[in-house]
Amino acid sequence: MDSSEKEIGQAGLLERFRKSWFPPAAVVGAFAAFVAAAFRTRPAPRTAVQNPAPRNPDAGRRTSDVGRELPILQGNKPARPLDREYSQSAVLGGRGSAHPFQRSLAGIAVGTADRIYALGDGQIRVFDATGSLAAAWYVSENALCLTVAPDGRVCVGALGRVDVYDVKGVRIAGFAVGEAKQPAAVTAVKVFRQEILVADADARLIRRYDLGGKQLGLIGDKSKTGSFMLPNRWLDFDIDSKGIIRATDTGRHLMTAWTLDGTPVGSFGRFGMSDPADFVGCCNPVNLALTPDGKIVTAEKMVARVKVFEADGKLLAVIGPEHFDQSCTHIPLAVDSRGRILAGDPVQRQVKIFSPVAGAVKRMEQERS
Amino acid sequence: MSEKSTRRQFIDLSARIVGFAGIGTAAGLLTRRASGNVVYQVDSFKCTACDLCRTSCVLSLSAVKAVNDFDKCGYCMLCPAYYDVTSLPDEKGIPTGKVCPQDALKRRVVGKVDPEDPNNNYYEYVIDETRCDGCGKCVKACKPPAGNGSLRLEIRYARCVECNECAIQIACPDHAIVRVPTPGTAPMESTGERK
Repeated sequence: MDSSEKEIGQAGLLERFRKSWFPPAAVVGAFAAFVAAAFRTRPAPRTAVQNPAPRNPDAGRRTSDVGRELPILQGNKPARPLDREYSQSAVLGGRGSAHPFQRSLAGIAVGTADRIYALGDGQIRVFDATGSLAAAWYVSENALCLTVAPDGRVCVGALGRVDVYDVKGVRIAGFAVGEAKQPAAVTAVKVFRQEILVADADARLIRRYDLGGKQLGLIGDKSKTGSFMLPNRWLDFDIDSKGIIRATDTGRHLMTAWTLDGTPVGSFGRFGMSDPADFVGCCNPVNLALTPDGKIVTAEKMVARVKVFEADGKLLAVIGPEHFDQSCTHIPLAVDSRGRILAGDPVQRQVKIFSPVAGAVKRMEQERS
Repeated sequence: MSEKSTRRQFIDLSARIVGFAGIGTAAGLLTRRASGNVVYQVDSFKCTACDLCRTSCVLSLSAVKAVNDFDKCGYCMLCPAYYDVTSLPDEKGIPTGKVCPQDALKRRVVGKVDPEDPNNNYYEYVIDETRCDGCGKCVKACKPPAGNGSLRLEIRYARCVECNECAIQIACPDHAIVRVPTPGTAPMESTGERK
């Protein structure tokens, strides 16, 4: 290739470029960019008034932090000294323990010899009085509650059904709960003599069944609205040795009492954010349990705490919110024969055991005598 | 010579093909973006209701509004998003303060009405969008465990002017404003007025 041929080649390329689509495309592109820039909607200039927060103070916070802003947490101390005190004596199933709950902790119950039955991770785990794991077996993954009958059988409530297990964890019976097209949202189950009582948070009623699963009656349908008021869709109850049922009526902020035939026999409670005896938020108390000496233990959400009441509503003790994750929407409760309160923290997936302090034990013994 | 010509022709043809492909791709992307099938929306899982939606939107009344998911709502009498539960109670024990500074959260009794005891009633809560400025105070108050989490913030397409760069998206510290496809739903004509 000589130099003249090279010159001809370069000139030919330039000519080709001049005649090609590149120049008009570049002009069109520049014009389009100008139009886009001219008609672009610019955000309003930010001023100190419009954008006062340099960063979001809520970023990275959990929902549990919301409750800490409430003045109830600062003013949680009762005005008068309470009759009972509890201190946390043990924790089961937490992180770092021998048998931690990995996914969930849904319910707890106390059986014979104060053995603790915890429902979580789709299992029932049985701990003896020292906290050692004594047994475990698998149940329905969506089970929400359990109870232990005096003979050692374990009833487990799940969506639309109740299953009964023997002491070794073998399923021996079960029945559907609720209507055919409306399965019950079973949030509590108890055994009383030859009956199994089931809380149906969907129908907002307590259903009575015999051991074969035949429905015997309803509790709560004789209230003024024909059912419990449950904005949070959670119904809990317990039954004492005389057959009196205590049930939460969260929307009304009431602790209600019923006979087995469904007759209302009393209630106590009211909404309030300052007096510790009151129930806070939209819908409380969410859980309850009865002590052997007839006291009522309640649990609340929004300000996650546990309280102990006399049957007439007199406040006896408060186990404060410092013991629980404040994002708990319910705290399953149980009480053993020694009066220890077992409270489940579903967020931390721990069973916390609170024992009455010495003075309180003496007072309890005096009351019993 | 014919060999060189062939190489030039090949390079020329290749450049044209690549150029046309690039322009076509860019045009396709721009057309898709302009076609209205992708809109700004609030990711409620990321949103912390920090109040920047109210202050950052280019509209005088933000295009972000609170909406109530009735399937989740508990129809509470003492709704924590409606009443400021920390305010002083009246003689009936009901809080006197309200959470919404614009009074945009309205309620009415649904079902059987008990005029004597309001605790026996269920209440339906709706948002008056002509008043709501998207501050998110109700959303924050409704979050669990206080409420059921039925209230959330949403960008209303009827009001959003679809800025090329959403000012709220720029300001949002939680990256909660996202572009989401809305197949078959072109944005409605804007009714919002710019600041």
